[in-house]
Amino acid sequence: MTDQDPLVRFAGVRKSYGTFEAVKGIDLDIGRGEFVAIMGPSGCGKTTTLRMLAGLEAPSAGDITLDGRVMNDVPAHERDTPLVWQSLALFPFLNVRENVEFGLKMRGVSKMDSHGRAMMWLERLGLKGFENRRIDQLSGGQRQRVALARSLVTEPQMLLLDEPLSALDAHLVIRMQGVLTRLQRELGITFVYVTHSQSEAFAMADRVVIMGQGEIAQIGKPKEIFRAPKTRFVAEFVGRNNILPGDKAGQEIVVAADRMQVSADQPDAAALPAEFLSEEFAGTSIICYFEGANGEELKAQVTEEELEALDPAPGQRFWLTWAPEASHVITV
Amino acid sequence: MKPSDLVFRVYLAAIFVFVFAPIVTSMIFSFNSDRFPTVPLGSFTTHWYQTAFSRPEVWTAFGNSLIIAVCAAALSTSLGFVTAYTDFRYGFRFKTAYLALALLPPTIPLVIMGLAMLAWLRQLGLSGTLTGIVIAHTVMGAPFAMAICRLRLQQMDSALEAAAWNLGASPWRAMRVVVIPFCLPALISAYCLTAAVSFDEFLVAWFVSGLNKTVPVMILEILQGNVDPQINAIGTVVFLTSMVLVIIAQLLILRKTAR
Repeated sequence: MTDQDPLVRFAGVRKSYGTFEAVKGIDLDIGRGEFVAIMGPSGCGKTTTLRMLAGLEAPSAGDITLDGRVMNDVPAHERDTPLVWQSLALFPFLNVRENVEFGLKMRGVSKMDSHGRAMMWLERLGLKGFENRRIDQLSGGQRQRVALARSLVTEPQMLLLDEPLSALDAHLVIRMQGVLTRLQRELGITFVYVTHSQSEAFAMADRVVIMGQGEIAQIGKPKEIFRAPKTRFVAEFVGRNNILPGDKAGQEIVVAADRMQVSADQPDAAALPAEFLSEEFAGTSIICYFEGANGEELKAQVTEEELEALDPAPGQRFWLTWAPEASHVITV
Repeated sequence: MKPSDLVFRVYLAAIFVFVFAPIVTSMIFSFNSDRFPTVPLGSFTTHWYQTAFSRPEVWTAFGNSLIIAVCAAALSTSLGFVTAYTDFRYGFRFKTAYLALALLPPTIPLVIMGLAMLAWLRQLGLSGTLTGIVIAHTVMGAPFAMAICRLRLQQMDSALEAAAWNLGASPWRAMRVVVIPFCLPALISAYCLTAAVSFDEFLVAWFVSGLNKTVPVMILEILQGNVDPQINAIGTVVFLTSMVLVIIAQLLILRKTAR
């Protein structure tokens, strides 16, 4: 076993419930110290994948290897795979410190020792002074940090996170993203992060795994996936992409909305005619929606100044163009 | 105060008067020196309490009732909790039938239940024993205990137990350190309520008690002889005991839902 070997290996892992196949044979290696995000729409099998890794579900076929050991028959409580739950699942009848000490107590760590380690983690996550509070006396962000401390106190080599930020307000999400990335870098342990949110996955992960309908659709660095989606599913799920008919049969062209140019006059180069539909404010930029000649929806991202210059009215005819290097071809 | 509020308050007061008047009357007469319950009242006395509680059979009956209530409540609560947990944790075929059966006993007429218990316990050679009454009262109390435990389990995040496993607790240990502590208010409340049910229960106990009388059975036997204000004294003690148990149960149920 060397450091180059993956920490986790999924080999042909399937999970079915009766006739429904939630996970349809996935192969995935996760490295040591890597921050991997598993992303996909709801029902794509991402949470099932995570639960199998934690031993909360048994795979129907295939092997899950952790640190070189096949884990299929190891029960959940004998694995070192702490999970941060979507609901956080803090114990309401225990106070903050007792929640954090829980994992140590189950592992038979002495009272003195576990007390000290719990306090250290509470301090590290900015919860000093809150150790005797009840859980229902904490804010959402504080509970989040208690859940993190509770999972990290046993110093695992891997942390699993199941949509941990989905219940938080937008501004807290950004702050917790910072907390998580910094923790992961400092600890050097593996994070496996399940989410349906692109912004979370792309902001934090070293590698993103896109899942759809129980299969892995694409694995890559955030930028690769964002700029070069391999399939129509990924192109539709990630970012704001235009999917256009390709030059050859069986091919399609993907152009990201932020690389699409809008002009009121027909340019010399090849351009798509499109009728303006509506606009949507997305922070500092605006997404304009158009209807193409064949009724397809097209989108282009413009700045405020560009929008003012264009001054589009619904039904108005525009022309959409893009630089050749802005597009890439996918096979259907 | 709006007129509608006033009407509502009067209505509420009327309900309480309707429900509690007979019991309060009995309490008042238990301190009344007259032999027969008539107005105007005689003088204040604790004579009936002294007479009643100087009789050894009254103490025996209270002892029997207490032992039975304590045991039947423990068994009902355990059984009710396990049944509710099975419903919470596992999905299986015929679950609806399982739940319907588990909740059935209170719908059986008590006379039928009493007769059936008598026949059944006689087969086991337990009729007329305290164990027999404990079994009968356990059957009667378990559905209430189950209903209370189910209510509590429905409030439990299903990830809570899995979180305990995930942090290294074996399933048994997770039950001990997570599920049971979470359900503790419900368990205590179920215990108090089933104890009260057992302590008050007359009809089934009358069928199966034989010579080991419980308090309600003894009250009837005294009444069959003559009308005696001692009954009021004993009744008052029984009522207060059950009330305390029910109030504890209610406080715990309300506290857990407020959280």
